[in-house]
Amino acid sequence: MIRRTLASCLFGLALVALAGAWDGLAAQNANLGAQRLGRPYLFVFLAYAIGWGLILGWIVSIARRLRSLERRIDRD
Amino acid sequence: MKARTGWLGITLAVLGAMASVGTLWMVFFWVPTERTMGVVQRIFYIHVPSAWVAFLAFGIVAVASGVYLWLGDERADMAAQAAAEGGLLFTVIVLTTGPLWGKIAWGTYWTWEPRLTLTLILGFIYVGYMMVRSAAASPEQGKRFAAVVGIVGALFIPLIHMSVYWFRGLHPDPVILNPEGPTADWEIQATLYAGLLAFTLLFLGLMTLRYGVERARHVLELREAA
Repeated sequence: MIRRTLASCLFGLALVALAGAWDGLAAQNANLGAQRLGRPYLFVFLAYAIGWGLILGWIVSIARRLRSLERRIDRD
Repeated sequence: MKARTGWLGITLAVLGAMASVGTLWMVFFWVPTERTMGVVQRIFYIHVPSAWVAFLAFGIVAVASGVYLWLGDERADMAAQAAAEGGLLFTVIVLTTGPLWGKIAWGTYWTWEPRLTLTLILGFIYVGYMMVRSAAASPEQGKRFAAVVGIVGALFIPLIHMSVYWFRGLHPDPVILNPEGPTADWEIQATLYAGLLAFTLLFLGLMTLRYGVERARHVLELREAA
């Protein structure tokens, strides 16, 4: 139950975060004025993608370790 | 106990995830683009909350390590281990997002500036914290050595915070925690506070779940030893 909830939250969060980042960056185009396009956008995208990628990786790692240990405990 | 820890962790992590979605909306849809730095300033909203969470995590490591050395309580060691893993992860995020901002703002990914260098050393200390556990002659010895490393590492936190005042460097001064009070626009402050809340909840939730992993491992070890 806990594993399923964790997996659902993870999936939902990943979808919303990706959609938010993508649409948000595109929406900012209209308000930028003098801001140059290109590199700053790429770097903002990279910063959030790497940050959230690492957090999601930690969530997956915790869930896998917890599942593996619970299986062993149940088996014993 | 296992179920209670699990649900507490899940609840905090879900609240943190929801707050994170709200923060992402604020970052990309609501907060105005900063006038001098432009769009790259938006990295600030992931960089600063990550730094705060890393410091919080290493603070927890120090307190839990102190309790472990004092009382010998295994739960304190498990909490320290869970917090250290999260703290290291958020330090890596700080050390990744900072250079991406620096490349646009300073023209270079890295400079041996005091705050950056001290943060890198802090990251290495907690890599050492992890390594010491497995390198020691016995698990008990490893836990004691790691506790000492955890306490020593936390001494870097005030040093890193004050380094922008004590040493001449490139890193910007704090815009919230400075002696004159917050200097940023209110929209920037609101987005930053939302990010701080989101990452704090997310970290506490994931740390609780990570603590559950150590509890489960401990139960298994006790069973195998019996």
